[in-house]
Amino acid sequence: MSKGDQADGNGGPVVLAPPRGFRDILPTEARELRAIERTLSEVFASYGYLPLDPPLVEHGDATPVAGPARLISFLDRDGTRVALRPDITSAVARLVAQRYSGPSGALRLSYFAPVFREEPAMLGAERQYDQAGAELVGAVGPLADAEVLALMAESLACAGLHDQQIEVGHVGVLMSLFAELDDASRAVVLRELRDGDHVGAFKRARRAGMSTDGLRRAERGLAARGMAELDALTLPEASALHEVIALARQLFGGARGDWAVPNLALLPTLPYYTGIVFEALRPDVGFAIASGGRYDGLLSAYGAARPAAGFAINVPRLHRALFATGWRPRHDQCLVVIEPGDPRRTARLASALRGVGVTAAIGPIAESGGLAVVNVDVVDDEHVRHADGRVLTVDELARVVA
Amino acid sequence: MRRLRIALSQGLLLGESLAALSAAGCETLGLTPDERRLLVRAGDVDIVRARPSDIATYVERGAADLGIVGKDVLMETGARVLELVDLRFGACRFVVAAPRGAVASSLDDYRHLGSLEVATKYPNVAERHFRARGIPVEIIRVAGSTELAPQVGLADWIVDLVATGATLAANDLAVIEEIAPSTARLIANPAAYHTRRDVIAPLAQRLGEWAEART
Repeated sequence: MSKGDQADGNGGPVVLAPPRGFRDILPTEARELRAIERTLSEVFASYGYLPLDPPLVEHGDATPVAGPARLISFLDRDGTRVALRPDITSAVARLVAQRYSGPSGALRLSYFAPVFREEPAMLGAERQYDQAGAELVGAVGPLADAEVLALMAESLACAGLHDQQIEVGHVGVLMSLFAELDDASRAVVLRELRDGDHVGAFKRARRAGMSTDGLRRAERGLAARGMAELDALTLPEASALHEVIALARQLFGGARGDWAVPNLALLPTLPYYTGIVFEALRPDVGFAIASGGRYDGLLSAYGAARPAAGFAINVPRLHRALFATGWRPRHDQCLVVIEPGDPRRTARLASALRGVGVTAAIGPIAESGGLAVVNVDVVDDEHVRHADGRVLTVDELARVVA
Repeated sequence: MRRLRIALSQGLLLGESLAALSAAGCETLGLTPDERRLLVRAGDVDIVRARPSDIATYVERGAADLGIVGKDVLMETGARVLELVDLRFGACRFVVAAPRGAVASSLDDYRHLGSLEVATKYPNVAERHFRARGIPVEIIRVAGSTELAPQVGLADWIVDLVATGATLAANDLAVIEEIAPSTARLIANPAAYHTRRDVIAPLAQRLGEWAEART
C-alpha cells in the first residue's frame, strides 16, 4: 500500500489518486480558472457568440482533430463505441449538420469546456483539460476572418495576457508560393511543411521541377514576417491577408497596434485549414496558448457544407502564462471567517454580513482557496470584533474588506 | 526576452556544430568539444549541450530555441520541431542488415514462421519501415551493440544507423536495404522561430550558405 492509500472494508487498498492522466483541481486553482472562464465568456458574449454545451460523450469515431490513438473510448452497453469528446469543433460540426442545416445566416457559438485526449496530451500527461473557444459558421470574407482573429486577441487581452503576439499565416498564400507545382506535388510539399520539415519540403519541390527563382521566392515567403515583408511578395493572396489583419486591428485596438503579425511559416499540423491560420505566442513559452483559423472543409465531413472559422484557447496554458506574469483574479474579496459564538447570534451576524455583500464563512476553515482571510469575533447581530481589536458594524467591515 | 539558446548534441556532431556556428558568425570562442560545462554563455547566445535524443525534447518544449541534431534522431523521436537547414555533415543512414549469406535462410524462416525478429535501438523507425513494406516483424529493442543480436540468435535482422559500414562488416553483416539517409539539421522550436524570426532567419540563412559552400 503506498502512502496516502487507505484500507477499504475488505482489507484492500483504496486508491486515492484519480485515474492516470486525471487530477483534482483544488480551490486555489479552481477559483482562478473560474475567473478566467467568467472573463472569456463575457468577451465571447460581447461579440454576439452564444454559449453552447455539447455532451461529454460523442460517437467513438476518430474526429478530424483527434485520430483513433488519441481518443479515450469505451464500449457502451449496447456494444457501440463511444468516446469522451477530444475537441469541441467536431461536436459543433456534427450539431450544425443536424440542427442548423437550413438557416442561411451566420451562427456564432462559444464554449468553455473540458476535452479529453489520450496521451500525449497538451500539457504534461494530462488527459483532460479545458478549452475555451468560438466558432463562426456560415460567414466568409475578410470581415469574418478578422472577427475571429480579433475576438481571440481581445479574449486573451481581457483575461490579462498583454504581451502575446498573434502570428497570422494563410494556407492560400502558402499554396500560391508553390503554384508552379502540380496539385499532387504541392499537396506533398504542404504536408511536409505542416510536419515542420522545411528541408524536406524544399528538396521535394526541387525534385518536382520547381524553378530556382520559384524556390528562392518560396523560401523568402516562408521567412517573411511582418506587413512590409508580406507586401514585398506582391502576391494577390498576400494582400488579402494584409486586409484581414488591418480589419482585425480595427475591430480590436489592443495595447499595441501591431498585435497581429503576418507570418507565412505558421502552418498548423492539422490538415483541415483552408484560409487564415493563427496562433497566440509569447516569447519564451514553447507552445501556442491559443490557435485557430478558417476550415471551410471541416463541416462537409459531417454533411453540412458550410464555411467556418474559429479558435480554441488552451486554458491551462493561458492560466500558466498569466500566473508567470504575476496575475491574480481581479475583484477578489477577502474571506471573512467568523469565530463562532452564540449559535443564533452567529447565524444572524453571518446573514447580515452576506446581506451587505461580504463573503463570510463560519470558522474554523481548513482551506481559504488563496483568498485573504479576515478573522472576526461575534459581538452581536450587527457588530464584529476585527482581529486588530476594533469593533465594527457590518457596514464598516464591508468597507474594510472591499 | 531571454537570450537565444542553442542546443548542441554531445559526441560526434559537436565539433562540426561548433565550426558551423562559428562560421555563421556565432561567437563560440573558447568552446571546444572538451568543455565540461553544459550551459555556456557564448557571445549573444547560450549554448546547451545534451544527449542527441534529448536535443529534440529540449527544442520541442521550448527549453532551447534552436538545436543541431541528426535527422535520425528526429525520425526516431517524431519531435514536433521545425527543420530549417540541412547542414550536410554527420552523414549516416538507417539500414536493414542481416548476417552475410543468411538472407536466403531468413527469408525461408519468414515463409514458414510468418514473422521476423528485428533487433534495433530505433524501434519507431524500424516499425514504420516494416509496416510500410507490409512485412510482419517483431521488434526487439536493445540499448546498444545491435550487431551482436543476429550472431547470438536474439534476432534475424537488425535495423541500425551506419556511417561507414565497418562495424557491420566486422560482424559479418550485410546491408539488405537502405531505409533513409540522415545528416545534421538545424531545428527550431516553432514558437521561438515565429517570435524570434529577426534573429533566427538570418542565422539559418548563413548556416545554409555555409553548408552549401562545403559541398
